[in-house]
Amino acid sequence: MTKLEQYKEQYVNQNIQFIVIDFDGVIVDSDQTFMKLNKGDYIYDVHPFFTSFSVMLESLDETITYNCVHLDHLQKEFITDVKMIKKDNGILMVIYDLTDHYISYQSIAQARNESIINSELVILKNIELEERERFKNAFIQNFSHELRNPLTSIISITSVIEGTDLNGEQQRMVNFLKESNLNLRLLLDDIMSISMISSGRLELRNKVFNLYQLLELVQFTYKTKAAQKSLRFALDYDEKIPEFVEGDRLRLFQIITNLLDNALKFSKEGTVALSVQLNQKRANKVSLRFKISDEGVGIPSERIDAIFESFSQLNTEDKHEGSGLGLSIVKGLLELMDSSIKVESELGKGATFYFDLGLKFQMDLASSPIVKKTALSTSTSKMRTDRKYKLLLVEDDERIQTVLFKSLMDTNFFFIDLVNDGAQVLEEVINNSYEIILMDVDLPNVQGDHITKLIRDFPFKNIKNIPIIGITASAFEENINDYLNKGMNAVVTKPFDLQELVETVLKFLKK
Amino acid sequence: MEMQKSKKIVILGHFGVGKTSLIRRFVNDSFSDNYKVTIGVHITKKVVEINANETISLIIWDLEGTDEVQMIRNSYLLGTHGVMFVFDASRPSTFQNINEDLKIVATKAQGIPLMVVGNKIDLIILNELQTQLKTNSIETNYLTSAKTGDSVNEMFTQLASLLNDQA
Repeated sequence: MTKLEQYKEQYVNQNIQFIVIDFDGVIVDSDQTFMKLNKGDYIYDVHPFFTSFSVMLESLDETITYNCVHLDHLQKEFITDVKMIKKDNGILMVIYDLTDHYISYQSIAQARNESIINSELVILKNIELEERERFKNAFIQNFSHELRNPLTSIISITSVIEGTDLNGEQQRMVNFLKESNLNLRLLLDDIMSISMISSGRLELRNKVFNLYQLLELVQFTYKTKAAQKSLRFALDYDEKIPEFVEGDRLRLFQIITNLLDNALKFSKEGTVALSVQLNQKRANKVSLRFKISDEGVGIPSERIDAIFESFSQLNTEDKHEGSGLGLSIVKGLLELMDSSIKVESELGKGATFYFDLGLKFQMDLASSPIVKKTALSTSTSKMRTDRKYKLLLVEDDERIQTVLFKSLMDTNFFFIDLVNDGAQVLEEVINNSYEIILMDVDLPNVQGDHITKLIRDFPFKNIKNIPIIGITASAFEENINDYLNKGMNAVVTKPFDLQELVETVLKFLKK
Repeated sequence: MEMQKSKKIVILGHFGVGKTSLIRRFVNDSFSDNYKVTIGVHITKKVVEINANETISLIIWDLEGTDEVQMIRNSYLLGTHGVMFVFDASRPSTFQNINEDLKIVATKAQGIPLMVVGNKIDLIILNELQTQLKTNSIETNYLTSAKTGDSVNEMFTQLASLLNDQA
């Protein structure tokens, strides 16, 4: 035997076995390379795969090859390619032992399949989560919408009762009622915010605003709030921060106040502090670090992620007031602003929440004089008028109708007509010369926004220009914008404060 | 000694749908959550009792899963008496094109009884799956769980019985 033949014998032939069977499946011969077979045994008793030999009996093909066949023999597993070749007296089986080769293929296939399946499961999980989130948001939206009407009645009636002759005890009760109403209203607003953030319906409204004024307002509000709990409030801001920045003032205010409310809620003593520091300033962009710290109960490290989830309250045994939505709103709003909330805390020593915010700033505005607004709107008590205005009140909810009617009449500024069906409004407007319309949006038959559009499209100036104030339980910005676009002069959301509503009405009256 | 009356069945379907687990449940009455990819083909035998006097030997070919039915090696299907096409009820990608897949299988295994099986029903809400199947005009013969054993024996026994009657 030559060297080459020896090598071939050593490295190739050891992996190839030849077996000859007759047409009944009886083993006639075997070279026993790796499977030890007995002549005279049936091949199909060696392994069920070999029942396939019968296919050769019916097949017109001279050769059939089976790849990657697992054969167990004498407690050993071989992964083989098997070639069956028809011969005159039987079948020749050539078995190639390719176990090593196929095992390496198996590990590649394993990794590939697992990765495909896992990514598919992640996608499915996400779809499921999105579906749940969508359902939750729709539920919350409907739920809070339905709550707004009865809450409007409660707030309005409370307001009416407050205006009557009350004794001390009754006044105390009304104060409780007012406080509860306010809490419920704030809760509804929080629920609405979180649901809008979660559903991606909240859009930021970036405008230039005075950051110093915002911080002063925060300071004014929280000095008082902290003092009520015998806490101190400290504001510290870097003088290098620009006075005028571009951002969503309302949402930034919401973030800061939510964090401060949270700090106050979990503090029994010490100082609650807000600091605003300059990280960097380049061209017309500035990065600011807002930090809110307290000396309260602190947060256990394992709970830090959970506090930003909706409806989570850290201390579940000693339940604190509030919806538990504040931090979740902060997290959502900051994500919208391409930022994120971070927290450091030591149990029993307090917590520090901080975030970095990138804002554009306007250098040319820096030296402009700041015009401070004195009052948000005209106070009814200061309003002077020597005549009464003709007002059309369109509202189908009887309780709200009654309260509004009474409150507006009490101002002594109005002659009021009442309509409770959207279909009657246009006729009333044409036949009477109203100076203002106060109209619910959700009306039977014809919606208030639709009526507004019809009035605005009217050819006669005295009709098309009548100021229209909308009232709606739908507090979504996009809806409100839609009503304004259709021609409403202002939209007041339920539950409203009677005083505010009356002031809004007065604002649009021709003096 | 004569070869016992035997019938070859092949189990097809995408990878990871639980073909091997169904066989393991049927043959050994066991289940493992660990997924081990099958490459090529594993062949197992199980003697099934059709009635008090009759048994049949099922030669079960557990084929490597593939999302390309066209790629199944033809040699594996030679001499097959029955085909089981398995999908994963919890992964729509394994059954969304099943009617096209079944057409290809039917051309590769002409005139051979074909059973469609939705596995892993322990992971899903049955009503939702049935709605999904109905919407996509997918007909199944069995909905099974290799994990709980739900309908596994019935399915194999019914196929065995069907193949026995055909002989």
